[in-house]
Amino acid sequence: MSKSLVEVHEKAKSYDWDFTSGDQHPKYPTRYIIPKHGKDPFRMLIRDYMRMEAEKDDRTYGFLDGALRMGMADEIQPRFMECLKLTLPDLTNAEFQAVAGTGMIITCIQNQELRQGYQAQMMDEVRHTQLEMALRRYYVEHWRDPAGWDATQKSLYQHPGGLVSIALFQNFNTGDVIDSVVNLNVVVETAYTNILLVAVPQIAVANGDHALATTFLSIQSDEARHMANGYGSLMAVLQDDRNVPALNEALERHFWHTHRGLDALVGWQSEYGATVRPWAYKDQWQEWVVDDFVSSYLDRMTDLGIRPPERLGKVAHDVPWLHHTLGMALAAFWPLNFWRSDAMYEPDFEWFENHYPGWHDAYGAFWQAHRQMADPSVGRIMLQELPALPPFCQVCQLPCAMPRLDQNEMRIVEYGGSRFAVCSEGCEWIFTRWPEAHAHRKSFWERYHGWDLADVILDLGFVRPDGRTLIGQPTIDQERLWTIDDIRRLRFEVKDPLQSV
Amino acid sequence: MSKIQVLPYDRAFECAEEETILAAALRQGLYVRYGCKHGGCGTCKSLLVDGDVEESGSTFALGPSERAEGWILACASQPSEDCVIDVSSMELTEEEFLAGDQIGSLLTEVETIQSLTPDIRSVRLRLVEPDAITFVAGQFVNVEIPGSEDVRAFSLANPPSEADRIDLIVKLLPGGRFSQLLAGTLRVGDRLRVYGPLGQLKIRLTYRRILMIAGGSGLAPLLSMLADLAHKGNTRPVTLFFGARRPEDLYCVEQIARIRDAMPVLEFIPSLSDAWPTDWSGETGLVTEVVARRLPSLEGYDAYLAGPPPMIDAAIPLLRARGVRARNIHFDAFLPTGGP
Repeated sequence: MSKSLVEVHEKAKSYDWDFTSGDQHPKYPTRYIIPKHGKDPFRMLIRDYMRMEAEKDDRTYGFLDGALRMGMADEIQPRFMECLKLTLPDLTNAEFQAVAGTGMIITCIQNQELRQGYQAQMMDEVRHTQLEMALRRYYVEHWRDPAGWDATQKSLYQHPGGLVSIALFQNFNTGDVIDSVVNLNVVVETAYTNILLVAVPQIAVANGDHALATTFLSIQSDEARHMANGYGSLMAVLQDDRNVPALNEALERHFWHTHRGLDALVGWQSEYGATVRPWAYKDQWQEWVVDDFVSSYLDRMTDLGIRPPERLGKVAHDVPWLHHTLGMALAAFWPLNFWRSDAMYEPDFEWFENHYPGWHDAYGAFWQAHRQMADPSVGRIMLQELPALPPFCQVCQLPCAMPRLDQNEMRIVEYGGSRFAVCSEGCEWIFTRWPEAHAHRKSFWERYHGWDLADVILDLGFVRPDGRTLIGQPTIDQERLWTIDDIRRLRFEVKDPLQSV
Repeated sequence: MSKIQVLPYDRAFECAEEETILAAALRQGLYVRYGCKHGGCGTCKSLLVDGDVEESGSTFALGPSERAEGWILACASQPSEDCVIDVSSMELTEEEFLAGDQIGSLLTEVETIQSLTPDIRSVRLRLVEPDAITFVAGQFVNVEIPGSEDVRAFSLANPPSEADRIDLIVKLLPGGRFSQLLAGTLRVGDRLRVYGPLGQLKIRLTYRRILMIAGGSGLAPLLSMLADLAHKGNTRPVTLFFGARRPEDLYCVEQIARIRDAMPVLEFIPSLSDAWPTDWSGETGLVTEVVARRLPSLEGYDAYLAGPPPMIDAAIPLLRARGVRARNIHFDAFLPTGGP
């Protein structure tokens, strides 16, 4: 930036005054004391910024054109593409919630430096949704089995796996505005986007999807700035030590919740959506969440009163297992999915046991049985083998079987005369501390209590254009696809497990 | 004379014949991070983007893979042609880079000199000007040899909460300048110039168990860390292995016992490698052999090593094989500066 532009930038920030023509109170009050001035995390004029972002967009869209001409979609491993039908809209939901979140932050924070940064971030989040929707269009048009891709966002909001994303990212724009900053900019973007947007592209490339890698890396190039927004906000709020207890509480809450949602979903995509696995998910987590985020980023703030999350050790204990358990549950629920599941085969068994000793004992029998029941002629599905459907956690929305089925930590809490299932002590603490944020979401099983499974699938709309073949299938390569008639023959009735507690 | 261009600042400086890049930068009022100045700590690690250098002195802190990636130690590199180096990893602002040497200069007074073992001394320096030092447990200082510009690096053995003093643990080396000073002219009440604090060794903020391995005078930074952990109410399990040759080479054992009283999660495992009395109930053998025997799996540990290079060289592959991630092994090599 030339000197004159620096001056213009500084001048732009000085257009700030306490106006008297309108209500000065923020639309959403905050419990934090926010100083009027802080360190500018952005240092750039929006005009120049937009030019730079437009260039990034051009490159990404240009790549998609090239990928189309070269038929690159045919090179993608089916397993990767199918899991992505859930995780990509999960991410787009996060972007949408972040657009609203940054708007809320701009409205509530009376600090010009930070507003400038969040204004740019809001445009970034819009850009990301557009990139992801363009990518999805590319998949719809060029992936060999587009079923599900044509209705992913709508499907997401109805599917239990989608509710994990909805429950997590609602925190970007609900509750206290600084708590939202802690969740969006500090925990999700600083601790987790390297896993999501740096490691996942490596996995995508290893599994043939260069379009996703290109899109995600373009998105990631904005994240450093969002991290700076979060850092700038924290340092501003930490100027007043009365804010410290609330900040530590927000960090504790969102670190736990983000761990439940993202470690489960991203871990699942990284390992169960991959044939080639360059990393074990638990190692990615150690690298970026523990060694970068806690050991470096948070450590720098401990002198100002910031504490590492108290549940860090418990999170470390659960991280190696969460996504395996989610993978098992999503495979067991395959008729309710809007993507094709896959079976795990001997090379997968070997890799999992090598990287997660004990995996075979915990999950091997399930995957063998899953494989044996893949063909519709067998006439059985895994849901029939369960003594009861697992409740979904009222906070994180994961099935209550975590971290592993044999170590299930589910518990029941009561609030307002109703009973709710939560998956863990961490989620119980969050529910008890902020019950109104979580008590009003209807559970998936409650919604369909007493329904025949075939009718549930039809109600969700998870059938192919012929109106009878399911979108969800137990594997990616069985000869005959399951139809709604196959499911109806099972006479499987959904029973809300909480009704019998 | 070679020109050294420094990224990411787009600045350059001249480096004279037989001058290290670090010395030239400091001489010309620039600042890059540094520590021991003799290849032992790795603080001055920089990326050589273009040009070539010759190594001068020890480069212990530079691993083979780092060398292959183009990393150099500025304190142990003399340019053989014009070079471009990148110091982005030091995370200095341009203002800090241009502000010159920012390492503190401290005037101290010798308060006590005590024998810990036949060849290890404890030296307590009382801060005179300024009257306190702010540091992180695990860091070291450079002590100036009186009447010269030479310095010798020693870890602080006291915790940061005892900010009015600097406790050093000094191994007497035949012919070593500081050893000669201790054996000869240095007296209680003498004044010593000290520079620091330096170095990046510190307890990392994680959830993992802590493994410490000390050999010889290497106990010093670990003692500081242990006292600091106890002071802060640490609850992470800590295991300290301390290797010595003979019983009379073990020291500060009572101090460690006091720390253990204050921090019950500490387990202390002394070991003797050369000779031990018949009633010795502790471990025997090289300290790394003892670690191998006692801890078959080390997944979920952060490791801190301080001692002579052969001990560190033996420990690192063992720790890696037992499951410690490479990034979670932190060490402070005790490198004799050598020579009078």
